[in-house]
Amino acid sequence: MKVKNILESEHFQLISDNLGIENEVNGIFSCDLLSHVMGFANEKNILITVLNNINVLGVASLLDLSCVIFSHNIQVNESIISKANDLDIPLIRTKLSTSETVISLYQSGVNN
Amino acid sequence: METYSKVYNIEKHDISNAGTIASLTKRELKRRGLTREFVKKVTIGLYEAEINVVIHSYGGNVSLDITDEYIEIIFKDTGPGIDSIDEAMTAGFSTASSLAIENGFGAGMGLPNIKAVSDEMLLTSSKEGTRLYLKFYIKSENYES
Repeated sequence: MKVKNILESEHFQLISDNLGIENEVNGIFSCDLLSHVMGFANEKNILITVLNNINVLGVASLLDLSCVIFSHNIQVNESIISKANDLDIPLIRTKLSTSETVISLYQSGVNN
Repeated sequence: METYSKVYNIEKHDISNAGTIASLTKRELKRRGLTREFVKKVTIGLYEAEINVVIHSYGGNVSLDITDEYIEIIFKDTGPGIDSIDEAMTAGFSTASSLAIENGFGAGMGLPNIKAVSDEMLLTSSKEGTRLYLKFYIKSENYES
């Protein structure tokens, strides 16, 4: 599965430029504490978070995550979107809660 | 390959630049042909330690030496020091400020994560400053075949 396949669902809206949407996806990781993400997320995971912070992208880049999904309709700062475009990391926003996001992704075929 | 040596300054509370040292080093490790798994280990150690200096200390620096056989990393800061290293090494124990927590840090997982990924770790601290020594051994299987 690729990031672009996730975007086929009406729940998920791409808020960064059209970069990195061919990234492969191999699992879901949900957390708002970056040290847990650093310690436990794996390459090509999707990160679901409500943490509206530029350091999310530092971690996503270091771990080669496939994309970042902001749940609960979090309004993401322009500086974060701009940094994501520099790093080719797709940013996705959804109105779903974090748990609904996990379920929706799982139902569409992403699992770990 | 030639030895790669760098020294970077780390500024107090400069959270938006945190991760730069780990990113630059990741690029060098990839250039040297090291595997993704190995690069990830070193990157986690560097990132967590860099964040610690940014959020807990008055500022400091890190020196890095990468050879074909090992990586040596020394973080030094100018205080205020760690009260109890045993407590600091306990997963979940945290003294993080609200600044750190608002930025997604302060879970109390930094030092335990560093210990888990490194081959040698030596942490010493006084009020004048903290020193963290890390060593990663590079074996032949850590290079991409």
